[in-house]
Amino acid sequence: MGIFDKLGKKDDEKPKADFSNVQSGSSSTAPDATEPSASDLGPTGTSGQTAADDTYVVVSGDSLSKIAKRQYGDMNQWRRIYEANQDQIKDPDLIHPGQKLKIPRA
Amino acid sequence: MHQSKRVSLALVLMVMMVSAACRGDKPADTTANTSTVVRVTDVTLGRAIGGDKAVTDKTDDFQPNDTIYASVATEGTAASASLRARWTYGDGQVVDEATRTIAPGGRALTEFHIAKPDGWPPGDYQVEIFLDGKSAETKKFEVKGR
Repeated sequence: MGIFDKLGKKDDEKPKADFSNVQSGSSSTAPDATEPSASDLGPTGTSGQTAADDTYVVVSGDSLSKIAKRQYGDMNQWRRIYEANQDQIKDPDLIHPGQKLKIPRA
Repeated sequence: MHQSKRVSLALVLMVMMVSAACRGDKPADTTANTSTVVRVTDVTLGRAIGGDKAVTDKTDDFQPNDTIYASVATEGTAASASLRARWTYGDGQVVDEATRTIAPGGRALTEFHIAKPDGWPPGDYQVEIFLDGKSAETKKFEVKGR
């Protein structure tokens, strides 16, 4: 077996990349279709649902002000994110990769 | 002579008024035009988005630690429209799939983003956007090594 055969074989056996820890999210300027309209509400006028917040998954190097800059275009809005996530953020200077943060709608 | 000009002018005015009245009689639209066809008009890739969900740092060359955003522009109105982003690597290995169901009332921007805490493997990627299950647009991008 020549060196090129070995190289070719090695390339064929290249393991697939591991994307099991990929974090994803989405948000939109349009309302979610699942949000009930007034006509969808039941006789009591309530549905038990609230407007969904956007979600953002923290990655390495993020800070609340960086996320605020990305999401709102204004890093000074970081407190809105902090206040919406006080159940999981004790110190606004300490967030962790993988945390899923609620991003209140603008 | 002046008398006949005045009569002519009056006739012209009457014709114009009758014509306008006829147009006004016609119903503007008898159907409830609450929805129009929703379509994807553009997909933009980048490293960051603004509050309006538009990409602020547009690129198709990324670094391993980047968060990758795809901002999908749509036009049209619907009570429900399903957008799906399917991210793939190399020869089609699926990286991630995400769906967002929106109720657009005109032009809208919907962003999808992916991140990988330990860094993206260098190589070629693409994101395919589906609208109500049908492929609408595909964008290719590359992650370059450190």
